[in-house]
Order: sequence, then structure tokens, then C-alpha cells
Amino acid sequence: MSEETDIIDQVVSQEYKYGFTTDIEMETAPKGLNEDIVRFISSRKNEPEWMLEYRLKAYRHWLTLSEPEWQNFSYPKINYQDIIYYAAPKEKKKLNSLDEVDPELLKTFEKLGISLAEQKRLSGVAVDAVFDSVSIATTFKEQLKEKGVIFCAISEALQEHPELVKQYMGSVVPYTDNYFAALNAAVFSDGSFVYIPKGVRCPMELSTYFRINAENTGQFERTLIIADDNSYVSYLEGCTAPMRDENQLHAAVVELIAMEGAEIKYSTVQNWYPGDKDGKGGIYNFVTKRGSCEGKNAKISWTQVETGSAITWKYPSCILKGEGSVGEFFSVAVTNNAQVADTGTKMIHIGKNTRSRIVSKGISAGKSHNTYRGLVKVAKKADGVRNYTQCDSMLIGSHCGAHTFPYIEIANQSAVVEHEASTSKIGEDQIFYCNQRGIGTEEAISLIVNGFCREVLNQLPMEFAVEAQKLLAVSLEGSVG
Amino acid sequence: MSGTLTAKTPGAEFLESLKSDFANYLAQAGDTNFVNQRKQAFDLFLNQGLPTPAHEEWKYTNLRKAYEANLATTCLQEEGIADLLASSVLNGLDAYKLVFVNGCFQPQLSALPQAGDLVLLPLSEARKQNAATFDAHFGKYIPLEGYSLNALNTALMSDGAFVQIKKNKKADKPVILFQISDSSLVNAFSQPRNLVIVEEGADLHLIESFLSNGNGTSFTNAVTEVMVDKNAHLEHYKLQRQSDTTYLNHFTQIHQEADTSINHVTLTLSGNMVRNNLHFYMNGRNCNSLLYGLYITDGNEFVDNHTRVDHAMPDCFSDEKYKGILKDQSTAVFNGKIMVHLDAQKTNAYQRNQNILLSKDAVVNTKPQLEIFADDVKCTHGATIGQLDEEPLFYLRSRGIPENEARKLLLNAFADDIAEKIRIPELVQVLEDEIARKIS
Repeated sequence: MSEETDIIDQVVSQEYKYGFTTDIEMETAPKGLNEDIVRFISSRKNEPEWMLEYRLKAYRHWLTLSEPEWQNFSYPKINYQDIIYYAAPKEKKKLNSLDEVDPELLKTFEKLGISLAEQKRLSGVAVDAVFDSVSIATTFKEQLKEKGVIFCAISEALQEHPELVKQYMGSVVPYTDNYFAALNAAVFSDGSFVYIPKGVRCPMELSTYFRINAENTGQFERTLIIADDNSYVSYLEGCTAPMRDENQLHAAVVELIAMEGAEIKYSTVQNWYPGDKDGKGGIYNFVTKRGSCEGKNAKISWTQVETGSAITWKYPSCILKGEGSVGEFFSVAVTNNAQVADTGTKMIHIGKNTRSRIVSKGISAGKSHNTYRGLVKVAKKADGVRNYTQCDSMLIGSHCGAHTFPYIEIANQSAVVEHEASTSKIGEDQIFYCNQRGIGTEEAISLIVNGFCREVLNQLPMEFAVEAQKLLAVSLEGSVG
Repeated sequence: MSGTLTAKTPGAEFLESLKSDFANYLAQAGDTNFVNQRKQAFDLFLNQGLPTPAHEEWKYTNLRKAYEANLATTCLQEEGIADLLASSVLNGLDAYKLVFVNGCFQPQLSALPQAGDLVLLPLSEARKQNAATFDAHFGKYIPLEGYSLNALNTALMSDGAFVQIKKNKKADKPVILFQISDSSLVNAFSQPRNLVIVEEGADLHLIESFLSNGNGTSFTNAVTEVMVDKNAHLEHYKLQRQSDTTYLNHFTQIHQEADTSINHVTLTLSGNMVRNNLHFYMNGRNCNSLLYGLYITDGNEFVDNHTRVDHAMPDCFSDEKYKGILKDQSTAVFNGKIMVHLDAQKTNAYQRNQNILLSKDAVVNTKPQLEIFADDVKCTHGATIGQLDEEPLFYLRSRGIPENEARKLLLNAFADDIAEKIRIPELVQVLEDEIARKIS
């Protein structure tokens, strides 16, 4: 037992290793939020008039909203006037190759294990790196262009493909959706844009790396992915931030649109700074992610490994409109120290014969709380719907909590919906079994946790699976290998 | 939305009438602790207001039509209650009975035990005769904060039953509490309130039956408070069979001390709109609680079961299973919450909700919740919604059983799973027949 306590202590005392800051010259907007700031961001980005109009509409709508209060945690009120809404590395001129990128920046990404140059040569993953609010570099652009794939920063897409952006932005997550989506629509600074043309299978994994660097800034990026008929894309997203004493807000919006027969696979490995062990500092990760299966037999699959952030609050969802479309959600959420995760998904079945699968694994340690909140809704006319939900929680230590709030709303008799959940701790008998076979307690816990998450980790593309496992190790070091 | 179009909030008139009822009550009442308790409760009620779907706990359930049914609080009753009781499935059972019509005690229809180990009284009598016990337990277990209808019941309750079984005694017969809402003369509003005390080591079988009479609208806001002391055992059954013009809200709080065991079954067989809250609070180690429920709905019926099991102490066990069969345009809501408190180690808690939808227009909203603050626990919950399983159906048909028969057989088996949890053999058969009739 004492050995176990030691390990738990180690788990609790693990520190964040991406907490460095990069000393780089930044151009920032003044603190605070008002219409001028919105105009400032828009003009900095040289945006078309309609975009500015959209932002202003969103901002005015945001003013009428109040912050939600239904969540299963509390946080100190955010002072929205104390945030810098725009921060960009200075000297931004058009970059043609990585050689022109500020070497300081490249170093930062190297430290994070995201060496842009390296990636370019070796791994065959196209990366779009977003540093604070601005997309720094997108690799492999030329190669993708040959296939007709558009992968660029959303600010660039606004210049080069405004018609696509105009048509789809806000179609899945309108600015009226919620408080943070409205804020994002008003002040989003950059993000990634992906368009896969009809019948194209994107030849490589697309990836975005988000980094918050500057102090007092919020990061509001916006991702828009459109997969046209019968196309396929796999998209990865990773994030880190420096260690700071104050909380920083990250309120992103991600919209996915899958047309007939298209498939989008969206994977996230989230490792924002979680705050220190007393819960001081850390990122508030309040993100709206939603995908819409517009056409027949479309498929959207969310995979997330959430280990960072002081508070993670998001529900990547699928609207299954097209007949026979499929939604999937695989999640591992690890919370430690004073972290909070309130996450889950919504599967809205509108089309006939739509299917969805939810696998959620929550691991809480320290004094943290992990909540699964999910909705499975079957509309009246959606015949033949099938859903399977599994959510398992694991508790490490006796001061943490695990909570499950599944909402199931069924208005069609032909639906078959199942929900299963369990909560357990690592059993003494399980550890004893391993010990008996010569496996040390630490290794045994690692084995058990890995086995617990395997179903989800298997969903990640190779490159990310490795990183995710490493992250689990960081979050639960001493118990996970 | 605001202002002109919806000039009044839902139930504004009802609220006004409740205020004047309470003012009338206060005018005659003295200044005792009991009156103060009710005064506080009424203030709490006013602060919280009548529940509406804006409240998360009432998200799917709207009692607005009940509030606006021009209700009157009355003891008036038509004849025919005796016939109604005679036709009840419980009629053949040898038991002690307390009968209430619109919350008013009916001595001529009741059957009380000789004075002794089992005390059965109307609550209003018990407050005078057993003042010490009454004061020690009344209102001590139910939550008022967040449950405005409980506060309303506390402030303006009609009458109800007082049941007390003495230390280490076993009641020789089951006790049945009949709550009948009679709306044959006016639209009736009643607030029955029951207090049940099972003393240390005692054993009681308790049945609560909800019936209705008349074609008017009735709204019943009932509260049952149960205290089960150390090492005692309680069999508790709820049988709800009201007409399609009734609204029933029944809150049951069961408070358990150490080493107690409870077997609870709720059967909702009919009623226009039924909302049950069943709360268990385990205040000692080694408690054992079984909660089972069955609802069979058709027409426009609406059944909402909210349960909450508070594992406040270590080493307790709870098993919960609610099953539903839905026909026509009926709706069922299930919300189960298992709350494992900090340090309630070695908790074992299970929760399941299974629903079969037999029609295109039936709706199920279910939310099986777990909230866990201790690490050494085993908790599982599950929910299923679907149609009858095709495979057993095929099996039966391949053996020459017509489809209709086969369906009935399977549904009966599905429902009997709950009915058979009742441990009064005479009752099980009657109920199984009743269920079979409802299904066919």
C-alpha cells in the first residue's frame, strides 16, 4: 500500500516540461475588447468587408450573452477586458520557405519535438504551426496543391478562397451557438483551413501545432475542414503553452463538414499547461468542436487525448444528417493535481440508419475531477439508428472524483441505443497479480493504465499514438511508461 | 418574449391561491415550532417558485397544465370510493389499511391494528398523541432546497399516514396506505404527507397505493419520509394506477442507518403524468438497498422517475434497475444519480435503465448519472433503449408460437423481472396478471 502511495505522490508531483517561453519580438493589440479591437484584428488580416461584418455581428451578439453556469465545476470569472486578443511575431512578411522563419521560432518548435524542417524531410506529415495567434509556416503546401488539396492558414484562405470560407464558416457552429463560440467568431485571429476536393484521398496526415507564447493573451483560433464527396482526410492537432501564474483562455472553434461518402478523422493531443500542483495558473480550454455529416454515408471521427489544461471543457460533436452516416468519438482524459475536465460528445441522429460510437476513458489523480457529459439524440424520423456508448473512469488516489452525465433522448422506436459505464480503481489484486509475476508495482500500474486506454490510443495515427503515450507518461509519470 | 404576450408566469394564479391558503392557515395557527417550521418551508417555496422545465431537474417534465387546472383543496368526496377500493388489486390482501381521499383520512374505510408494536395513525393525530416522536423525525430527512414542491408540501400538507414499528418487532401484516385523488366534484389538489419510522431491528412491509376517482383533473403532491434505524428491514412497494386526468408528484426519502436493508419496488401502471423522486441516504455502514421500478405507458401518458442514492458511508451496496415498456405517444424519463461521497470506500453500486419502445411515437429520455468522490469503489451504470430482441422472437416463432403470442411472452418476461422482486407472494401473481393485461 505504501508503495502505491509513493507512486501516487510521484504522479502528483510531476511537472510540466513544455513550460518555457520564447523570447521573440511580438506585435500585440492593446488589452481589452471592443469594436475597435475587432476592427483592428480584421484590418491586420486585410480581411474582406463581409468578414468584418460577420465579426461585428458576432461581437454584438456576444455582448447580449452571459457566461454559462451549468457546468460541473467553477472557475473565477474571466475578465475579458484584461486579455490581449491579438499577438503575432513581428516582421511578418510572406514566407516562402522555412529558411525565412525566425530561427527562434524554429527552435521553439524543435524543443516541442515539432521540428518543421525535420518533418518536411522525414515523416511526411504536413504541418501548420500556429504561434500565439498567427500561422507561422505550413509545410508540404506544394505537394498538396498538386492533388488539389488546400491546406493553409485561415487568414490566407480568406484572401485566396474567400468564397469557400464565406459559404462554410459558421455553418456548423454559428456565432449564436454559445458564449465562447460568439467570442471566437468576433476575435479569432488565425487557424487552419482544409479543403479536400471530390474523390481525393489526402496523401498525407495534416497537422496543426498550436502554441500560446505571449503573456496575457488569449488564443482564439478557428479551424475549418471541408471534405467534398468521397474524399478522405486525417487531421491532427497538438498544443502546448508556457507556465504562467495566471490563467489563459483558449476558446477555439472547429468546424468539420463531410459531404457524401467523405471521411474526416480528427485527432487531438492536447497538452496545454495544466497549472502547478496547487492549481495556480494553467489554460482554460473552452472549445467548441462540431462536425456535420452532410451527405450520405459520410463519416466523422473524433479522437482526443486530453492531458493538459487547468480546465478542459469541450464536447466534440457530430450532426449525422446524411443517411447512413457515421459518427465516432474516442477520448482519453487524464486529470491530475487540481485539473478539471468536463468533456464528452453529442451525437445528433437526424438521418436514417445513422450510427455512432462513443468510447470515453477518464483517469483522475490527485485532487482532480473528471466529468463525462454526453448526449445521444435520436430524432423522430431517424429510423434504424444505432448507438453504443461506453465510458469508463479510473480513480487514482482518494481525493479525486469521476462523474458521468449521459443524456439519452430517443424519439424513434427503431433506435437501438446502449450506454455502459463503469468506475473503478486499480485493484490491489491486479497489482498483486503482476507483482507475483515479477512486474514491479510502478510498471504494473503503467500496464493497467495503458490497457485501460488502449482502445482509444489505437485510433490515433501512428505519429500521434507515440506522442500520446509519451504524454500519458508525462501526466502520470511514475505510474505510466 | 417578455411582457405583453405572456402576461403571467405559468401557474401565477395557482401561486396566488397557495399564498392565500397559507395566510389563512397562519391566521388560525399559533406560534409553535411546528408552525415556524412550516413558515420557513413556505418562504423557501416562494423563493424557488413552482418547478418549470427551466430547472435542470425538470427539463423534460412540465406540470404547467396541473398548475392551471383551477384546482381546489377539498375533502369533499363522492360515494364510490368503497367500490373503487373493492376493485383494487390489493383488495384480497390481508393487511392493515389507512385510506385517504384528497389527503383526508377516512376512518370508516381503514383497518387499523390493536394498540401495540405497530402504530398506525393519521399524521394529524400522531402530532398530538406522539408529539416527541413526531418532532424528532418530521421534516428531518427530506431536502427542501432545490425541491420546491417538498417545501410546499411541508408548508401546506393535507393529512397523511404515521407508521411506526417498535424496536425488534415484526409487523404481523403488511400495511397499505391508499391515497385516492377524487376529482368527481371539483378539480382536486391534495398534498398527502407520510412519515414512516422503522425502529432498530424491526421489520415492516409497506405498500403505498395511488388511485383516482372522477373525471376532473387532480394534482397530487405527495411526500413520504422514511427513517430506518439500525439493523432494521423494510419492504417498500409503490403501486401507481391513476386515470388519464391526473398529475402525481411523489417524493420519497428513505434514510438508512447502519446495517439496514431495504427492498423497494415502484410500479407505475397508469396515470396521465407521474413524477417520482426516490432518494436513498445511507447514513451508516453496511447498508443494503435495492431499488426496482417498472413503468408501462400508453396513450399520452408521461412517467418520470428521478432516483438518487447517496452513499455517504463506506461498505454499502445498492442495486437499481428500472424497466419501461412504452406504447402509443407515451413518454418516459429516467434520471438516476448515484452519489458516492468522499471516504465512502468499498461502495458497490449498480444502476440500469432498460426501455422497450413499441410505437413510432413513444419517447424516452434517460440520464443515468454517477458522481464519485472516493476511489475504492465499484460502480457501473447502463441504459438501453430498443425494440424487442429479434432472436428470441424468431426462436419462439420457429417453434410454432404466433408472433403476437411470442411478443406478449417476451414482454411479460421483461416486466416480470421487476414484479417478482416483490416479496409478498399473494401480490406477485395479481400484479403479474395486471401487467399482462396492460401489455396486451
